[in-house]
Amino acid sequence: MSAEALAPARAVVLCAAVWAAAAQAQSEDALALMRRIHDATQKLSYRGTFVYQHGARSETSRITRFVDPDGDIERVEVLDGVPRELVRTRDVVRCYLPESRVVKIERRTSDRSFPALLPERVGALARHYNIVLGETSRIAGYDCRAVLLSPRDNLRYGYRLYADAKSGMLLKAVTVDAAGQRIEQFTFTQLAIGGVTREMVRARHAATKWRIEDAEASPARLDGWSLSAELPGFRKVVELRRRMGDAKPVGQLVYSDGLAAVSVFIEPAEARQSLGAGASGSGALHVYSRLIENFRVTVVGEAPAASVQRIANAVEYRRPQ
Amino acid sequence: MKTRISQLVDGELEASSAGELIAQACRPGEAADTWCVYHLIGDALRGARPMPADFAERIASRIAQEPTVLAPGRIAPSPRAWFPMAVAASLAAVALVGWVAFGPLREPAMAPQAKVESVPVPEAIAAAVPIPPEANDYLLAHQAYSPRVSLQGMAPYVRSVASER
Repeated sequence: MSAEALAPARAVVLCAAVWAAAAQAQSEDALALMRRIHDATQKLSYRGTFVYQHGARSETSRITRFVDPDGDIERVEVLDGVPRELVRTRDVVRCYLPESRVVKIERRTSDRSFPALLPERVGALARHYNIVLGETSRIAGYDCRAVLLSPRDNLRYGYRLYADAKSGMLLKAVTVDAAGQRIEQFTFTQLAIGGVTREMVRARHAATKWRIEDAEASPARLDGWSLSAELPGFRKVVELRRRMGDAKPVGQLVYSDGLAAVSVFIEPAEARQSLGAGASGSGALHVYSRLIENFRVTVVGEAPAASVQRIANAVEYRRPQ
Repeated sequence: MKTRISQLVDGELEASSAGELIAQACRPGEAADTWCVYHLIGDALRGARPMPADFAERIASRIAQEPTVLAPGRIAPSPRAWFPMAVAASLAAVALVGWVAFGPLREPAMAPQAKVESVPVPEAIAAAVPIPPEANDYLLAHQAYSPRVSLQGMAPYVRSVASER
């Protein structure tokens, strides 16, 4: 075997090394900030007011988080429009809708199957996003540093995350499209870290005699259902059966690239007051619905409309043998 | 998987989805065997002479003798970090219960757009239609499984309980 014959192999090794070095240099500080944001999100108690903006609309909410050795509790109250309240204990989210006197209950099937972004997996995001540190800016009285996640393709959105330099607390999150245009934004207008009591995260509504809609989600194999082609970078992270509203069981498959996620819902078409077929979108969320025989497939995701539609069109059913 | 390996051998697989498959084919197993078989088929079709049986081993030993290139490695999670994930995955697999009776009475005539992977993504279709309030249940169900919650807590949930859009 001659030395020339090995040249291509050497070139490949060299290219891989150069690429790896570049990937590391561009993002090590930025990845460290991402991990700090992650830690702050899990460990801090806080109370604040944030504004959610998309298009010309904006909505103000209050968020309170209480960290306790017995598990943390988080409460969100929407302050504009119709009152709505969400309370999350360890792995149960309760959504209170006082006008219709309904409590919707979402349970994580278990912490194991929850597709959380773990600190040790933050580095893996660099496969799909170029992650660099951004500018410093002052938000709600906190000196913040930005971390910018630019997608490496047009299948996902980009993000600009602004975190308090001292605590790592996320003060502002902007979702941007391929052209860098803002699609939606969460910004704290006021935030106090610490000083939260258990009383502050208690649900405001007793909800006695309200209708309870429990998702009762449990892991399941949706035999026969799959994607004819997965969206590059998006992998299946959850497969379960659940209830939705008071309708018959619905299948749910979740695909994620580690940060963005897309859910595929599959249900008998006659099961509910159906959503019309076709596309819709608000902020960074898009929905696409279509029929496969007598089943309705609804895809929901925080991804560009084309990505959501592509996943919806790839859903297929093959009778299990 | 075989179809995708065939595409990979023919250079038809997108670069972004090839990485995982190459990693699979680098480990002993079905993927690696398929990879070898497809190359053998390709060689036979082209009338190429088969390589000596120990060809791969000899290349590997020559590379092992090469001087070490001192360059930073790729950022890879430590094996320890992956271990709990592997355990979780196997536990989750045990918990899975088949749901066979859940499907159309007859198989759809044809899989729609089987060639989706090679279709270029069109410019984002302007979603002129806002998400109707009837979709709130779907949004809430989706939000519960979004990794974004790990970075932002409950704030993104407000999108799923919008009163009007």
